[in-house]
Amino acid sequence: MKIGNPIIPQSVLKKARKDSAKVLQSQVYESIQREFNIIKEQMIRDFLSLPVTQEIMGGSDSPNISGTLAGGGNLFGFIGFERSDKPIEPILDLLESSSIVIREGADHLVTITIPSAASIFSATPMPWASGRSWAKGIEGGISGLGFYIAKSDVGRSTAGVQSTKKVKSGTFKRTQYISTFIQKYIKQFSSIKSSQLNLK
Amino acid sequence: MIEQFQHKATNSFMLWFDNYLLKKGQAYSNKSGSFYYYADDRLDDRFKAFGSPYKQWVNDSSIAGATVPSGVYVGGTFQPRSSSLLLDFNNGRALISGAASTASVSGSFAVKDFNIYFTNDGEEDLIVDKKYTPNSRVFSAAASYIEPYDNVVPAIFLSSQSINNAPFSFGGEDTTKIQMKAVVMAENSYQLDGALSIFADSFNEVFPTIPFSGNPTTEYGDIKNGTYSYDSLKNQYNSEPLFFIEDVVTSKLSDKARKSLSNDLFIGFIDFEIHQQRVHRL
Repeated sequence: MKIGNPIIPQSVLKKARKDSAKVLQSQVYESIQREFNIIKEQMIRDFLSLPVTQEIMGGSDSPNISGTLAGGGNLFGFIGFERSDKPIEPILDLLESSSIVIREGADHLVTITIPSAASIFSATPMPWASGRSWAKGIEGGISGLGFYIAKSDVGRSTAGVQSTKKVKSGTFKRTQYISTFIQKYIKQFSSIKSSQLNLK
Repeated sequence: MIEQFQHKATNSFMLWFDNYLLKKGQAYSNKSGSFYYYADDRLDDRFKAFGSPYKQWVNDSSIAGATVPSGVYVGGTFQPRSSSLLLDFNNGRALISGAASTASVSGSFAVKDFNIYFTNDGEEDLIVDKKYTPNSRVFSAAASYIEPYDNVVPAIFLSSQSINNAPFSFGGEDTTKIQMKAVVMAENSYQLDGALSIFADSFNEVFPTIPFSGNPTTEYGDIKNGTYSYDSLKNQYNSEPLFFIEDVVTSKLSDKARKSLSNDLFIGFIDFEIHQQRVHRL
């Protein structure tokens, strides 16, 4: 008896393909999700290790490890934060909110959303002029005004702002911070296959 | 040194800023009254100074409704501008040759709501250290002249913060990015909010490059050719490269911080990012 090639019904083939694609897809999705989580963690760790971040997190007692101030002091005091302020937290919250959405059947399978530099600037107001961003100021320059105002309760004068240290001899040296950092991670996240990157 | 890009940028920006504020905000008031004689040892011996109670008169005839003086009344007779009668718009005065110090001098003029100055001082120097003579535009001025030369408030202090180039196109064309800052010192919050609002809306505005030779004022503070219109000047230089306001951010000194200052001014900041595409290596 001769047995020919078995004829598998089209409906069975279709179902088999669909089922195997589902298994493969879920493996791909898991891999993409894992890759995203790794880059996100790396981004937050990287941000926390930036000298400007570390110096500001160090508060009023921190040394000027960012090298942005000539003539002593530190960024926390120079910008003029209150002792209880936690200026880095809003940035961390934004970075933490970075997300990934995987959609079946859509043109773009994977959508990744991370904060833009502009949204970080909006979340980091100067303590003495809320329309200005201290994070942007790190990149573009900050006047010593915050230092004077933060020291207003110190000194003999009660009529005006007075500094206990001469700060005018020192100048603020601009340095790269948020814009470069975000640009770096736009590249990193864009390297995830089949993804579309959104900035919020 | 010959005139450089930065010089032209500063001159162009200051002329544009002055015109924009006056035009968009109608930020002037027309005044008339007596001028008062005073001795000024910095002045050429030929002239006697007769000062009005206000500094920085409007000299731009493209500002509709503003009284731009062309002369003053001496002993009740109108005397137009001439080589023996100069108008110092910056210091708000008439410089008259051959007049007695007891001469009766009067005139009409428009005074700016804000004096405009260009400065190299930092914000902390301007706000904390400096003491200014108030020259109120709200309350009536005293029947006397305002001292010349010193800066008075309300005022806006302009400064150039930084400049850098970034590649723009093949062939060596760069985008030159200039950070300009303005510190606004106002008498009240209405005045401050008005100035900040006007310039917040200057986003995406353009203005032409105007070299120093196009600056309309003389060493005496008078107008070079007897009349000045920013609109005409702008058209004269419309083939020159344009400056583009890429970004503008306004902010105010917080009330808490303001109360710790020794003066009673309302303070705001305008941060401009201005771009121009240039081929500067040729």
